[in-house]
Amino acid sequence: MRYAVHRLLQAVPVFVATTFLIYAMVWSLPGDPILALAGDKPLPDNVLQALRDHYHLNDPLIVQYGLYMAGVFLHGDLGETFTGQPVSELLQDRWAVTAQLAVTAWVFELVVGIGLGVIAGLRRGRLADTAVLAGTTFVIAVPVFVVGYTAQILLGLDLGLFPTAGTDDGWPVSYLLPGMVLGSFGLAYVARLTRTSVVENLRADYVRTATAKGMPRSRIIGRHTLRNSLIPVVTYLGVDFGNLMAGAVVTEGIFNLPGIGQQVFQSIQLQEGPVVVGVTTLLVMIFIVANLLVDLLYGVLDPRIRRG
Amino acid sequence: MKKARGAAVLLAAALTLGACGGSSGNTGGDQAKQGAGQFSVALNEPDHLTPGNTSSSYSITVLQALFDTLVVIDSKGQTQMRAAESVTSQDQKTWTIKIKPGQKFHNGEPVTAESFADAWNAAAYGPNAWTNNYYFANIEGYDKLNPEAEGAKPATDKLGGLKVVDTTTLEVRLTAPFSQFPITLAYTGFAPMPKAAFADLKAYDQKPIGNGPFGLDGDWAHNKQIKLKKFAGYAGVRPARSDAVLFKLYASRDTAYTDLRANKVDLLQTIPPASAGEARKLLGDRFVPTASGTMDYLGFPVFDKRFQNADLRKAISMAIDRQGIVDAVYNGTFKPMASLLAPLVPGYRENACGEACVYDKVKAKALFDKAGGLTGTLNLYFSNADPSYEQWMQAVANQLKENLGITDIQFRKIPAADYLSTLRAKKEDGPYRNNWVMDYPSPQNYLESMWGAGNRMGWDNKQFNDLITKANAAPSMDASVPLYQQAEDVALAEMPMIPLWNWQDQAGYSNKITGVQIDPYSPNLDTITVK
Amino acid sequence: MVDLSAEAAGPRPASNVRGSLWNDAWLELRGRVIFWLSMAIMVVACGMAAFPSVFARLGPNERCDLRMSKKGPGGGAIFGYDLQGCDYWSQIVHGTRASVLIGIAVTVFALLIAIVLGLVAGYYGGVVDAIVSRMTDVFFGIPFVLGSTVVLIAFPRHGIWAMTLVLVILGWTTMTRLMRGQVLAIRDTDYVQAARALGAGDRRIMLKHILPNAISPVFVVAMLNVGNVISGEATLDYLGVGLQYPDVSWGLQLNVAQTFFAEYPHLLVFPALFLTATVLSFLMLGDVVRDALDPKLR
Repeated sequence: MRYAVHRLLQAVPVFVATTFLIYAMVWSLPGDPILALAGDKPLPDNVLQALRDHYHLNDPLIVQYGLYMAGVFLHGDLGETFTGQPVSELLQDRWAVTAQLAVTAWVFELVVGIGLGVIAGLRRGRLADTAVLAGTTFVIAVPVFVVGYTAQILLGLDLGLFPTAGTDDGWPVSYLLPGMVLGSFGLAYVARLTRTSVVENLRADYVRTATAKGMPRSRIIGRHTLRNSLIPVVTYLGVDFGNLMAGAVVTEGIFNLPGIGQQVFQSIQLQEGPVVVGVTTLLVMIFIVANLLVDLLYGVLDPRIRRG
Repeated sequence: MKKARGAAVLLAAALTLGACGGSSGNTGGDQAKQGAGQFSVALNEPDHLTPGNTSSSYSITVLQALFDTLVVIDSKGQTQMRAAESVTSQDQKTWTIKIKPGQKFHNGEPVTAESFADAWNAAAYGPNAWTNNYYFANIEGYDKLNPEAEGAKPATDKLGGLKVVDTTTLEVRLTAPFSQFPITLAYTGFAPMPKAAFADLKAYDQKPIGNGPFGLDGDWAHNKQIKLKKFAGYAGVRPARSDAVLFKLYASRDTAYTDLRANKVDLLQTIPPASAGEARKLLGDRFVPTASGTMDYLGFPVFDKRFQNADLRKAISMAIDRQGIVDAVYNGTFKPMASLLAPLVPGYRENACGEACVYDKVKAKALFDKAGGLTGTLNLYFSNADPSYEQWMQAVANQLKENLGITDIQFRKIPAADYLSTLRAKKEDGPYRNNWVMDYPSPQNYLESMWGAGNRMGWDNKQFNDLITKANAAPSMDASVPLYQQAEDVALAEMPMIPLWNWQDQAGYSNKITGVQIDPYSPNLDTITVK
Repeated sequence: MVDLSAEAAGPRPASNVRGSLWNDAWLELRGRVIFWLSMAIMVVACGMAAFPSVFARLGPNERCDLRMSKKGPGGGAIFGYDLQGCDYWSQIVHGTRASVLIGIAVTVFALLIAIVLGLVAGYYGGVVDAIVSRMTDVFFGIPFVLGSTVVLIAFPRHGIWAMTLVLVILGWTTMTRLMRGQVLAIRDTDYVQAARALGAGDRRIMLKHILPNAISPVFVVAMLNVGNVISGEATLDYLGVGLQYPDVSWGLQLNVAQTFFAEYPHLLVFPALFLTATVLSFLMLGDVVRDALDPKLR
């Protein structure tokens, strides 16, 4: 319990520092977001002034940050975009899309990744192992946008196995292909991690002892090896969920999924500070919470940590 | 297709099993079964839907279905009356607008002269900070609504130049004679608004009430869709021929195009130029190229002494292979330009520019040397709004390097948000991309806006300004055209900004709909029927 | 970017017979085909980066002819032409430099930061450790693509060094964490205690005794990191926030290719091939070196 409280307290300064860093970076961007709204047409000065006042663009940075954080924690108010839509409302719509995408990718990583890893680990040195190793290295090496486009054109358009873009078919059909693309990198990682872990555990003394005592192999593997092998994998999967949420920028763009990744990328280019800060703040929160949970879960799986 | 979908569902089921009942299933495929008379249109997210507060072409597409403006421009570029019966003037300064009686808004309110006056006053009122504020600057009383002093509150919220004579008559007094005034009224920024709008303008922006053949159906689902349904009480000239229109909102036109190919969307107005060849093959006569008034130019900072020599500017113009760029980057769909005006503007002359817009590297180099060449780094300015800008700028850079021997060329790719303020503040020190989207087909819209007083280049020419003033006051379009052309000649002789090419829009549609009549001024969604 | 430490870390025997460890590793590596394969690719890639004119027919963006735009392989151009009508083979060769240079530079800087901060934090512990660890947490929590996009948009020109800086800022944390963990594990071993008892200074202990024994897993991660940085840099170029003309890079080529690749697949295939091969060579090298260094997996 003390361990948990200690970890929680550590997370607070990290959260403040990270969000302020992001806030400062976003608002120090050159340029005038208001002027950009007008496109190629001129905006009279008094109109510009009225808009700037409305968005507190004339206050000093620290005041803006203070006002903003107060709004977030006291009223759950994330500000409003320069087209007048509340950020929380904007994110509410998009959050669901990204969450569904991330969950799909995550499940894909979990099921297929661990599956492949276990197979490879148990058959170390054989064809299956070599194939998994080669395949996963390759997947890690190919840039995600190349994978994305190729999958969209080949599997989506030419073969018609999946919807090409958009969320029309709902979850999970619309999210399958993008989820696989997004999860491919993590999948390769999970598979390799599981394999290494399984191999290490199979050589552990306790397995040798169990074998010597005549315990059936299936029971050794099922009961002991797998459970112990999953500890590092769980760590990775926990942290990776946060990564998936943030890493969806490219995938959402290719597959036209109206999620937060796409939104925040556009917002950075439009210098929509409120959205960028709002999203990143929430992402950092998820990330920190995920890390925290992983640490605590680690303690449950591996009692040595708690004592240490 | 059915079998294929089955495979996806099977995989989905497998994944759901693994998900330990995590995320609850979304309402799958509720849009899949569309209504019988409904078709879908691909669009980007509009910024606003209040007519006075948007100049985004995506918003305008929606507004053109929701609203009937006073006049419209037909496919031949002629002004036609729509909500108005007539727009007349004796002196080009005081205009009388007669409105057709019996028209209704979607909420049942009648459309009157007041509906227009209210909408225009709101747009012209400075503190509202609406995008189209500037369009009302030539109506008398605009200054009072937009005081110069910072933070000053206007004493009135009504334009003095607007007078509601009776329910169907509106009188407009301008600050100076302007023969082009009726054409400007075709712009959606001049659409009427019902009384109900002013109770809550913020809500109205999300759920606009118009007087057009379609009304909004449900809420604007941001970044997802906007649904319109046929307006039963419509009494105008263009009743809808379908039951409903579904705008599907995309973040990129490439993705929208992929969906059009997969038959997931019925109409796309912006097929990416790079895909034009493929789309033509795939869609046959369902591929519709449409002329556009949009132009790209390369502007010079004339205020910078390195670019003050007109010969140098012409040399650069002659060193650029417009056709080559258009073929490579835009698949030959755009049209290389030797005129400052787009072809669909009255008064357009195909070769107004002459030799200075013809690609000739030998002459270009000779002229460049004669002008004394260029010292230091040549910075090229453009915004990051679209990847194709960078592509054609790179071609320009390669050609200037190859043909004129300018070795040190750098890019200044500015965030879209910062681009126009950079130009406005005259912070650029090299040629920059200048784009113009036509508001209405009049030479005045191009020439005065870009070369007139206070322009970005810092180019100031009295002869040009006088000709524009004279043309604006001419009694008719026909009488004004020769004067505008003389002004164009002056601008071309000095070449502070060189014309590059004229855009072309490419639409494509599915075999589910017929009667598509897209023209440069409107997609005319009312004419489309669903098979 | 991804947390590489998870895979490479784990309990590792702090061997103080390092000569034999690396020796064994070398003997092991010598016999691996993958080792030689990835070395071969790396030598070619580094050769292209260092001396592009040996491989390429033309200079970067030289003698481009728009009329040849997007033409496929044939005639004098074995890889065809790019959008600008430049010889694609030459352009791709010149693109190697940006990727390899950034990949290696970022990793070297990040490794230096990791060694210094990891040593200091792990060795001294206490407040120093707390500060370093929290700082690591802060930077570790910033999402890679979003963070770098924000920073890069603020730069007026995104040259190679600006890119390197951004990637270092967002990429030093993984190795630092790993390094700190290693130092922590070694700090209290008998031989370090012995050295301290014999009166060795902090600096001497850190550099002579801890560093050599802590470095090998960090080094493996650094190798894998080169591949990841190259991939990340290409992603930023692809998104249009990275390098720009007159620089030539694979990411930029892929950025252009995305618009045209349905009709002109060679635009996508060739740079993707080079990028994948280079990244793959660093990843495979990291893998085999790790296996070789870890006797348990042999």
